Amino acid sequence: MSILELKGIYKAFKGLQVLVNVNLAVEEGECHAIIGPNGAGKSTLFNVISGKYKPSHGRVIFDGQDITGLAPYKISRKGLARSFQITNVFPRLTVRRNIRNAILSKRRIRFNQFVLVDRLTDVSRETDRLIDMLGLTAVRDVPASELSYGQQRALEIGIALGTDPKLILLDEPTAGMTREQTKEAVALIKRVAQGKTIMVVEHDMDVVFTMADRITVLSYGELLASGTPEEIRRHEGVKKAYLGKKRNA
Amino acid sequence: MKPLLTKGAVALVLLALIALAPRCVPVTHVNMLSEIAFFSLFALSFNMLFGYCGLLSFGHSAYFGIGAYTLVLILKHFTGMPLLLALFVGGIAGGLGGLLVGFFCVRLKGGYFALLTMAFNQFFFAIALKWRSLTGGDDGMSLSRPDLHLPGLGVFSMGRPANVYYLIVAIVLLCVFLQWRLIKTPYGNAVRAVKENDERAGFVGYNVYLTRLSLYAFSAFFAGIAGSLFALFEGFIATSVIDAQMSMQVTFMAFIGGVNSFFGPILGAGVYLYFTDWVSRVTDRWEFVLGVLFILLVMYAHTGLIGFVSLDKIKYFLRIKAGIKGTDK
Repeated sequence: MSILELKGIYKAFKGLQVLVNVNLAVEEGECHAIIGPNGAGKSTLFNVISGKYKPSHGRVIFDGQDITGLAPYKISRKGLARSFQITNVFPRLTVRRNIRNAILSKRRIRFNQFVLVDRLTDVSRETDRLIDMLGLTAVRDVPASELSYGQQRALEIGIALGTDPKLILLDEPTAGMTREQTKEAVALIKRVAQGKTIMVVEHDMDVVFTMADRITVLSYGELLASGTPEEIRRHEGVKKAYLGKKRNA
Repeated sequence: MKPLLTKGAVALVLLALIALAPRCVPVTHVNMLSEIAFFSLFALSFNMLFGYCGLLSFGHSAYFGIGAYTLVLILKHFTGMPLLLALFVGGIAGGLGGLLVGFFCVRLKGGYFALLTMAFNQFFFAIALKWRSLTGGDDGMSLSRPDLHLPGLGVFSMGRPANVYYLIVAIVLLCVFLQWRLIKTPYGNAVRAVKENDERAGFVGYNVYLTRLSLYAFSAFFAGIAGSLFALFEGFIATSVIDAQMSMQVTFMAFIGGVNSFFGPILGAGVYLYFTDWVSRVTDRWEFVLGVLFILLVMYAHTGLIGFVSLDKIKYFLRIKAGIKGTDK
């Protein structure tokens, strides 16, 4: 069963067509990569799915429900989480409190005005466990803004994972990283997101072809191809539009 | 364990001082302490929004005033109502006012939010000024303080400053405790998350609008309680309880004390009231002196005065005195 279905998504900004008739299905348990040249509309697609933008036309179906145009917090509560290309954490809060925000949200105790947070030992335990998986235990009491770039990226993913989503959208998880850092980040994602359905926008082709079960190629807002890594590698249109030129660069 | 013990000891000493104050100091000072108490609550309610959610409410006297007018009107028209209930209704009225204004304001952020709250403040001020048959306009209204009936404990006359003081301090302490506890609950956590990064908070599942709106209403509730205590204490109110000057005053108090600390505004209220009392006896230009102090604080001491008196610093100082080298815990 498809966990996410996009049906004829269009998105225009003041006459500029960014997404044109995108149809896509993401299957449960797969890692689905979205690739495409700069300006192909990848991030816009994520913003449409996660509720930051409303599509001009079309439907977003998540887990059998129509979530088109819902507010981000409602979409998040249905089990669709996302991370951001530009680190978007709670900068002045410690790593622990960053992660705890997500854990509390997952457990639906966001509005409770009677218990003390520090007394919720289950929450602390779960928070610490996730921090441990992220490899951030040593810095768990450090404000997020004081972390290294790599640690911030890990935290970025961790916050999204903390809500225990059915589908997680990773927007360029390795953006701005060195080779080494990228390797670590991929290992981290594989470790923490095991068995989860992932949609990932990624520029690094090595990362894409090692991680993805299926790949969708966007070009100028249109869906160019969708298939297994092998199919995409052999696809003539994709080679022309994207891979052929980029490979030598 | 140690820091808990120190905090407990500090709290106990403070409570003892508060309880014994009316026996030790002259009546004028008891009155001053009452004033500090309800203005502390007012400043705390202001800082609940600014310090914990980043919402700068420049029109906070609206709810203070609504609370004050509500109390006076209740005592005037529903003479049978118990005093404590009347004070509580004053808070509820403030909270409802906050809910109404918040509905329009909390979608905005920063300066736009501040300006819109200011505009609503003027709106309520205009009502208080022009609806003379209800509020008395700028002639104001006086109230006669009813006695406080406490079942099982007897009747306390509100004619005695010490009794007024005890009532005000008890209610303020209860409210301060509630506020302090609130920020430590998951709700307080959500408020903080919304302050730090509202976009991400939304993407993690927090309803930013509802969090801000409810906090605004809570804050207005406590401001309303403070206002009704003010009315009880003064025995007379006029439009000055709901004007822009009063909003400015609470902003001053909070900033002077320190907006990044829970207890900062209490210190701010105390210093502000004693300082203005003292300076206004020396010179008519007390507002000028206050303005200079405010500028200096904003420029050179972002932490407010509480930054100078934190518990850690006191301990550090004591350690130096005792000749012990500072070791890491």
